[in-house]
Amino acid sequence: MTTFWDIIHLLTETPIVFVAIIGLTWGILGGALPGISASITMALVLPFTYTMDPAQAIALLACVYIGAEYGGSIPAILIRTPGTNSSAATVIDGYELNRQGRAGDALGISLMSGVVGSLFGLAMLALLTEPLSWLALAFTPASYFGLGILGLSVIASMSGGSLIKGLAAATVGLMISTVGTDPISGVTRFTFDIPDLLGGIEPVLVMVGLFALTELMSQSGSLNMTRLNASIRIRLPSLSLMNKLKRSQFIGCLLGLFEGLTPGGGGSIAAFMSYNEARRWSKTPHLFGKGSEEGIAAPETANNTVASTALIPLLSFGIPSSNSTAVLLGGLLMHGLIPGPRLFEQSAQVIDSIYVGSFIAIIAQIGIGIIILPACIWLVNRPRPYRAGFIFALILSGIYTLNNSLFDLGIALGLGLVGYLMRLTGFPVLPMILGVVLGHMVESSYRRSLVLSGGDHMIFLQDPIALGLLSIALIFIVFSLSREIRDARKAKLEEVHS
Amino acid sequence: MNKDLFSGVALLAIAGTYYLWSTQIADSTLSDEIGAGGLPYVLAIILAILGLLLIGRTLLAMRMQTATAGGDADDRDENARLPRAIGFLLLGAAYVALLPFVGYVIAMAFLIGAVALYEGAPRTWVILAAAVGGGIFYWAIFVKLLGVNQPMGSLFQGLF
Repeated sequence: MTTFWDIIHLLTETPIVFVAIIGLTWGILGGALPGISASITMALVLPFTYTMDPAQAIALLACVYIGAEYGGSIPAILIRTPGTNSSAATVIDGYELNRQGRAGDALGISLMSGVVGSLFGLAMLALLTEPLSWLALAFTPASYFGLGILGLSVIASMSGGSLIKGLAAATVGLMISTVGTDPISGVTRFTFDIPDLLGGIEPVLVMVGLFALTELMSQSGSLNMTRLNASIRIRLPSLSLMNKLKRSQFIGCLLGLFEGLTPGGGGSIAAFMSYNEARRWSKTPHLFGKGSEEGIAAPETANNTVASTALIPLLSFGIPSSNSTAVLLGGLLMHGLIPGPRLFEQSAQVIDSIYVGSFIAIIAQIGIGIIILPACIWLVNRPRPYRAGFIFALILSGIYTLNNSLFDLGIALGLGLVGYLMRLTGFPVLPMILGVVLGHMVESSYRRSLVLSGGDHMIFLQDPIALGLLSIALIFIVFSLSREIRDARKAKLEEVHS
Repeated sequence: MNKDLFSGVALLAIAGTYYLWSTQIADSTLSDEIGAGGLPYVLAIILAILGLLLIGRTLLAMRMQTATAGGDADDRDENARLPRAIGFLLLGAAYVALLPFVGYVIAMAFLIGAVALYEGAPRTWVILAAAVGGGIFYWAIFVKLLGVNQPMGSLFQGLF
């Protein structure tokens, strides 16, 4: 049992504070670079941890993870490019606020919501690791299928007023996810003998193409040469604003906890679902998509919560729920630490270091954010011709980093054109991104389930987790559809009256 | 042609092409009951149905004369900017074409300078400075700090 004095000892006798701040800063910078995912950021420091004390090494990796998950929101808000997959939902309202000249507000909300989510996630990690870890083991392929469908269920409310177009965009996203090697039989699909397509098309390529390149293309030729933000000051949300955001942050915390516990859940699903639910429960749902503060708070709280709660299945059973936690698992194994219940008894100092290091990193996030965010706002506030050139260069450099492939650059440019045409024809891009992100999980878990059941679809109703998730998905779809129909009727009536 | 009508036809074309490609997916002895082609078939059919629904809805709306066939002023403005947007994208394509030959730093400098000129920056020494400085800055971050193997360029292979 860890005592208060053990924590004080950790804080004073080891350089844990230094380790936490270095890890956090590196994580934020890595997460903020498009194409450098949280896992790559962690993998880059992994070799340096080899000679470190195990407790400090694991704390460093955990802090990098926290920083990277937060850092992804910075380019999402400033240049419409999600730094990590899980910050894709932040683009919607974050970038819209930036366009309104309120980048400082958007970054402040994202920063504080990240801190709230991370603190909640850390508390859950410390309190519930053992009681809740059974959930990770209870997940079957049928449960994963339910989880994937639950993620897809938000499409109905992200269709931007046209359900047909939203569903079509999601279908095209699912089609993109089928490119590559079939997850069950190993047969290649739609690869046209191109080796670069064997591994499929990375979701981040689709996000960068559809969000960032489309936006750059759209801005090109615009006569509006005004700068986006008059001020480069970062504005932390006031107490009254935090009070207003508490509902969306609560939703983000709950969904982040749930998704962090579920292997494969990840920050992306948590962020999109939180956005959707925050809009459903908001008093001002009409502001979502137009620069809603709640629309930033919900996904940012969720994906930062996941950064901590995803450690629960990892530390309890060694189940990595994402690439990032897989790198952390690599760090644990490199130092001879075997995840599992005995880790808590035999290497209590490592566990304490994770808790203490993460806590320091979360608190330090506010200070580091206040220092580096104004510089980021200043950078994106340069005259547009130079800003466009530097952002385009950053995006293309980041894409190449993914696989050292020129082919990826071509794919992203092609998707930029697709995104621009979608914008011209009124197709929403978010359903397409969800389709790409979740397609592989839905297909592989569906087919694995049927292999296990001998082709009997009852497996999805017999598995309690799958049944629960599918039921929630059904409720979401029914509610979303009824709201869409109601809104469409209302709009039609207003059109007739006007 | 009405934008939605065009979109519906495009969806049908995508569905048809995707379906044809999915018929070429090989069978495997390791395959399950559904097979590698199962989901692609279903997706092609769903997309075709959605395309038909979009076309049907648009034709119905046009018949009822509620469709805004010409689009509003914003749409026309956006349409007019399409060639310029494609031009912007072509600068990216030129970067991709140059990268293996001239290497990362020069290609990056070209991209930053070309985009700045294309976007209307005044033709002063600042463009050159930004281009060269930007190329070196990104090289320092991606190649030196992060250790990414960006192409050095076949033209200069013997020099390094």
